[in-house]
Amino acid sequence: MSAPASAIGTAEALDPRAGSDFWRRFRRSRNACLGGVLVALVLLAAAGGPWLAPYRFDDTDLLAVWAEPSRAHLLGGDALGRDVLSRLVVGARISLLVAVSVLALTLTVGTAAGMAAGYFGGWVDTLLMRGADIVFAFPELILAIVVAAMLGPGTRTVIVALAIVWWPGIARLTRSLTLGLRTELFVDAAVVSGTRPLTILLRHILPNVVPPLIVRASIGVGFIVMAEATLSFLGIGVQEPLPTWGGMIRDGLVSLRTEPYLALSASAALGVTIVGFNLLGDGLRDILDPRVRDR
Amino acid sequence: MTELLEVSGLSVSFATPRGSVPVLDDVSLSVREGEVVGLVGESGSGKSVTALSILGLLGEQGRVDAGRIRLDGRDLLPLPEREWLRVRGRQIAMIFQEPMTSLNPLLPVGFQVAEVLEEHLGLARRAALARAVELFRDVGIPDPERRVRDFPHQLSGGMRQRVMIAMAMACRPRLLVGDEPTTALDVTIQAQILALLRDLGRAAGTAVLLISHDLGVVATMASRVVVMYAGQVVEEAPAGALFRAPLHPYTRLLLAVVPGVREKRARLSAIPGSIPGPSALPVGCRFHPRCPDAIPLCREAAPTLDAHGPDRRVRCWRAADTARA
Repeated sequence: MSAPASAIGTAEALDPRAGSDFWRRFRRSRNACLGGVLVALVLLAAAGGPWLAPYRFDDTDLLAVWAEPSRAHLLGGDALGRDVLSRLVVGARISLLVAVSVLALTLTVGTAAGMAAGYFGGWVDTLLMRGADIVFAFPELILAIVVAAMLGPGTRTVIVALAIVWWPGIARLTRSLTLGLRTELFVDAAVVSGTRPLTILLRHILPNVVPPLIVRASIGVGFIVMAEATLSFLGIGVQEPLPTWGGMIRDGLVSLRTEPYLALSASAALGVTIVGFNLLGDGLRDILDPRVRDR
Repeated sequence: MTELLEVSGLSVSFATPRGSVPVLDDVSLSVREGEVVGLVGESGSGKSVTALSILGLLGEQGRVDAGRIRLDGRDLLPLPEREWLRVRGRQIAMIFQEPMTSLNPLLPVGFQVAEVLEEHLGLARRAALARAVELFRDVGIPDPERRVRDFPHQLSGGMRQRVMIAMAMACRPRLLVGDEPTTALDVTIQAQILALLRDLGRAAGTAVLLISHDLGVVATMASRVVVMYAGQVVEEAPAGALFRAPLHPYTRLLLAVVPGVREKRARLSAIPGSIPGPSALPVGCRFHPRCPDAIPLCREAAPTLDAHGPDRRVRCWRAADTARA
């Protein structure tokens, strides 16, 4: 805790998020660095997909049907002779778009609902949690099909459908964390100092539920990418010829024993992404927790 | 001195799955401006419920069946929650027993004090933080400019309790409720914290309602003492008179079990029996099963809280005999 004398006692010096040593701690955390690099690579691919790809994602080449990796096709070709590497890079954008959008939606809605239900209890809790139960009660595919029937197939449908299916899980987790925090003495202390409920939720409850949610969210990336593949397979989601990682894994599974490159390379991309998000999430949690900071 | 806080005839019950259970019965007490009043009793005597009632924090299960709580002559009980937010922290503040967990582990301590100032006095963040530094200095935290940026785990228990006191005193409340504020601290720190509370109270004109089961703490701080047993006030007296000549047998026993430094007793003494639960109260006087002086009348009829002299009240059939003896 060393700060220039002039900064002492000013708002900047006191703001926990302004921490000038954030990047220093970030560089010292092996998890955060590794995760950050992996996520950055994936994001780079997603951002520059069409320019990075050696071929167009929908170019077919009869000679490359189920081709083995070669200099022309680094990761081989798929059933229609399309370049796997190109489809992987272009697919990154769609898969990540879906995953990040779904996470953003479910985390916002789920956290808000969970905190409200856990903190206020009573009819608020009953209303929100029974709502979550209703969503839980339907198989997710059925719900997604209903959403598709209303919105028509497409990337947006996948996002909305998965968000509807996923928020109750986040809400449940947040609610149970909030229930525990609500009985903490520091929350009581805020109540007896006349702090408004909304301020208590945002200042005292939210920062304490975020770390477990980060972990949950980083694991969620993988599940969401695969769920998107399922929906797209049923024709509800992202439509051919647009590539997605989930879709490529699904297409490749059919011939996994004879032509493993398609499924394996898409799986590897997904795996790297999940590991990257996990490490980054884990590292961020440690960096942002003041109790771990000093060690 | 005028009455600041007036609790009169307060009866509170809690809803349980097995029906409503009375926890406070006709509790009356008052705190004058700038005065320190001790509220003592065993665990389960209703001290904390009394404190929560004063702060309007009984929760959904708690119900006030009768009585009134007035602060500066204003009736608090009918206030809507919105009004309560302006009473808590601003006019009545509270500090707890456990300084280790009373602070949010993820926020710098200065922030948490500033938050109260922003909430009640409408100060901007920067001004609130500057004021927090002053408050830290007032409660005797060394190097306050740096300490405000510390997180709770970087402070000792005594320092954290000082932060809690700074937070409670931030808006110069009229009344400070201390629920066992020194119980979790070691003895030397206890004395410092008590002296701090007394000095700050005097400087700010804040009255203190000090809840404790430690009669030593109450003796050094309070000018008046209220003793509770099983949800009732059993004795109320000026501190000196109470410690010199307790009139209720429960008060006498409480004083008798305080271990002295010079005594070489093999065992610590205790009051035999335990406090009755609110759903299994004995008929007659609530203390009679444990009372060494009980007479047949005590088993049949409940005594009332009667005045003995100008500022003493006792709930005991035999108080007059005791006073004469």
